[in-house]
Amino acid sequence: MPLAIALATAATLAVFVAFPLLAPDTEGDQLLPVDVTPLADFKRRRMVVYENLQDLEFEFKAGKIAREDYQTLSDNYKAEAAGLMAASLEAETTSHGDAWIESEVAARRARRKSAPSPQYLCPECGFENPLPVKFCGECGAKLASRP
Amino acid sequence: MNQVGSVSLVAALAFGIYGVVAGVIGGRLRSLRVTRSAERATLAFFLMITVAVVALETAILTDDFHTAYVAAHSNKDLPVYYKIAVLWAGQEGSLLFWTWLLSIYGGLAVLINHRKNRQLMPYVVAVVLGTGVFFTSVTFFVANPFPVLNLQTAAGLAPLHPPEGNGLNPSLQYHSMVIHPPVLYLGYVGFVVPYAFAMAALITKQLGDNWIRVTRRWAMVPWMFLGVGILLGANWAYYVLGWGGYWGWDPVENAALLPWLAGTAFLHSVMIQEKRGMLKVWNIVLVMVTFFLSIFGTFLTRSGIVSSVHAFAQSNIGIFFAVFLGIVVFFSLTLLFLRLDFLKSENKLDSVVSRESGFLFNNWILLAAVFAVLWGTIFPIISKAVEDKTVTVGPPYYNKTALPIGLLLLFLTGAGPLLAWRKTSFQSLRRNFTLPVALAVAAGAALFFAGVRDLFAWMSLVLATFVAACVLQEFYKGARTRQVIAGENFPQALYNLTMRNTRRYGGYIIHLGIVLLFVGFAGLAFKTEAKAPMQRGDLLRVKDYVLRCEGITKGETPNYLYERAELSVVKDGKALGTVKPEKRLFKASQESISHVALRPSLAQDLYVVLAGDDEDTGKALIQVFINPLVGWVWVGGFVVFLGTLLAMVTSRIEREMAGIRRPVEEAIEEKHAL
Repeated sequence: MPLAIALATAATLAVFVAFPLLAPDTEGDQLLPVDVTPLADFKRRRMVVYENLQDLEFEFKAGKIAREDYQTLSDNYKAEAAGLMAASLEAETTSHGDAWIESEVAARRARRKSAPSPQYLCPECGFENPLPVKFCGECGAKLASRP
Repeated sequence: MNQVGSVSLVAALAFGIYGVVAGVIGGRLRSLRVTRSAERATLAFFLMITVAVVALETAILTDDFHTAYVAAHSNKDLPVYYKIAVLWAGQEGSLLFWTWLLSIYGGLAVLINHRKNRQLMPYVVAVVLGTGVFFTSVTFFVANPFPVLNLQTAAGLAPLHPPEGNGLNPSLQYHSMVIHPPVLYLGYVGFVVPYAFAMAALITKQLGDNWIRVTRRWAMVPWMFLGVGILLGANWAYYVLGWGGYWGWDPVENAALLPWLAGTAFLHSVMIQEKRGMLKVWNIVLVMVTFFLSIFGTFLTRSGIVSSVHAFAQSNIGIFFAVFLGIVVFFSLTLLFLRLDFLKSENKLDSVVSRESGFLFNNWILLAAVFAVLWGTIFPIISKAVEDKTVTVGPPYYNKTALPIGLLLLFLTGAGPLLAWRKTSFQSLRRNFTLPVALAVAAGAALFFAGVRDLFAWMSLVLATFVAACVLQEFYKGARTRQVIAGENFPQALYNLTMRNTRRYGGYIIHLGIVLLFVGFAGLAFKTEAKAPMQRGDLLRVKDYVLRCEGITKGETPNYLYERAELSVVKDGKALGTVKPEKRLFKASQESISHVALRPSLAQDLYVVLAGDDEDTGKALIQVFINPLVGWVWVGGFVVFLGTLLAMVTSRIEREMAGIRRPVEEAIEEKHAL
C-alpha cells in the first residue's frame, strides 16, 4: 500500500511538472520577463549614490567626518550622481533605452510569430494586430469575433 | 518502507535530471513555460526526497531492524528524540538528510522567486538540481540507506529480522547533538543557493549588482546556520568529550570553519560592490570558494580521509566528492574566465585609508585564515603523498598561525566601520579613534597590573575593549545625531537608527558578539586542571574550590549502565551544593562515555569528569577543570545569532529602494500589450 501511494505521488508530480508544457496557451510561448532594465539600473545606481550621500551627511553630523573630508566626498558623490543622471536621461529620451525597449518588443513579437493567435490575424491582409480588436488596424477589415 | 524509499529516490533522481535539462533549455530559449516546468521539477524533487526521508524515519521509529541502517544505528530503548536523530547518525542517512535540506533550499528559492529574477531562475534551478542529482546519485548508488538484512541459507536468501539494533553512537546521545548536525548541514548545504545565483548571473551576463543583492540574504542564512552549528558542536565537545575544552582544531571542525570564514569575507565584500560597483570578480570568486569549501567540508567529513573525532563516517565515497568538486571547480572557473569582460569595476580605489580598503584588507586576512586552517587540515594528506608518512599538525600550529590572524581580524572588526567610504583623513581618524584607543590602553594597563601575562589573552582582552568601544560609540553617536535631527528621545532614536539600516547595525551587533567570543577564547589562558583518585570522604583542592567525595554509586536505565560520583563543592568557605559526574556504558553498543558535571557561570565554569577507575588504588579517578570565561563563548554566539537575524530584517532603506525596480518592464507590458 505505501509503495502504491509513493508511485501515485511520483506519477501525479510528473503530470504537475509537465503541465506548463502541455497546457494550451493562447498567448503562445512567452519570453521570460526582464529582471533589470538598463534604465532601472541607472536609476538604482543613482539611488545608491544618494544613499551614500545621505550616510555621509549623517556621519558628518554625528561628528565622525572632518569638514574637509565631508566637502571633498560630498562633491565627489554629487558629481557621480550628476553623471548617472545625465546618462539615465540620455538613455530615457534617445538611444539606449528606446533601442533596448524596441529590441525587447521585437524579440517578443518574433516569439509571438511562431504561435500567432488566430483571432488577432486579419483574414484580409494577414496583419497581426497587437491587441484584441474588432477591426484590423492595417486595412480596416472586420476581424473574426472573439470566443 | 524500503521499497518506498528506493522508488522515491529514483523518482527524485528523474525529476532532478529533468529539471537540469529543462532549466538549461528554458534559459537558452528564454521560455517561460519551460522554465516553469523546470521550477516545478525542483518542487517535485523536494517532495520525492521528503517521501524517502519519511520512509526512513518510519523504519527507524517502528524499530524495523530488518533495514540494515536501522539495525546499525538504533535500538529499541532509545528515546524517541534520539531515534529521530538516527536519520543523520550514519553515512547513508546523513547523505539523504543532506539531499533533503538541499531540496528544501531549492524549493524555497523557486517559491520566493516565483515572480522575481526570472532570467536567472532557469539556471539557478539547473545548478541547484545539478548538485541535488549528485547527492541523490551518491545516496542511491553508493550509500543507500534502504537495503535490508538477509541471511544466506541453503534454500537461498532469507529475510533477517534481528530482535535488537546496535544502538546509536553514545557520543551522539546528547541534546545538542540532536540539533547540531541539522543546523550545521543547513549551513553547508545552503551555500548552494548563492553559488547558483552567481553562476546564473555569469551565464546570463547579468553581472550588475542584482545577483549580489539577491544573494546576500541567501548567503546570510547558511552563514548563520554554519556559525550556530559550529558553536553547538563546540558545546557538545565541551559537555560530552570530557577533555575540558571546546575546540581542538579537529579536521572536521576546521572543515566547517573554512566555508564560514570564506562566507564572512563574501558578506563583507558584497558591500563594496553594492556601494561602489567594485570587486565584481572578487565577489564571484568568494561565492565560488565558499561553495567549494562547503563541498570540500562534506568530502572531509564523509570520506574519512583524515582522522578525526568524527570518525563515524569513514567510507569510500570520498572519490565521488573529489570528482564532483573537480567538475564544479572547472566549470566555475571556465565560466568566470569567459565573462571577465563583463566584470569591470565601475569605480577605482580612491585612498588606502578608506572603508573599501578596510574591507579589502579584512578579506585578505580572512582568506589568509582560510589558507592557514586549510593547510593545517590537509597537511596529513600532503605529507602522506609526499613522504609516505602521515604528519598531523596540532594546536601549536594553529596557535602560531590562526591566533595572530584572529587578533588582526578582531582589530579590523572595530576599526573598519570607523573609516569613511572613499577616503579618510588623519583628522577624521583622530575624531573616531581617540576614545576607543584610550579605553584600550587603559584596559591594557589595568590587565597588566592585575597580573595578566599571557600575551594572547592580554591582546584579546585589550582588542575586545577597543572593538566594544568602537561599536558602542557608533550606536551612541548615531542615536545622539538622530535626537538632534528628528527630535526623538534616546531609546527612540536608538531604535529608529537600528531599524533604518538593520544591515549595518545588525552587523555591529554581530561584531559585539565576536568581541564576546574572543573574551571567552582569552579565558583559555587561565585554565586550571587537577586530577585525583577519590573515594568517599576524600578531598580535592583546585584553586578556590574544595571538592569532597560523598560517595560513588552504580545503577542503570533501560538504555545504559552508569557509575556516578557525588561530590560536594565548597568555594571560599561557602557550600555550593553537589556535582554528579557520570561514566555511562551503553547497553546496545557496549561503548562508554563521560557525562560531565558542570557548574557554569560567566566568570568561570567548574567542570568535573569521572574519568574512570584508577588502576593502582581502585578508586574513582576524578578530573577537575576550572575554565574561566567559557560562558562568554556561548553568550557571544547567541549575540552573533541575534545580530544576524536583525541584519536579515528588511530595512527602511531597502524598502525605499525596492520601489524603483522594473519600471521599464512594466512600461513595455502596458504600452505594447504583450
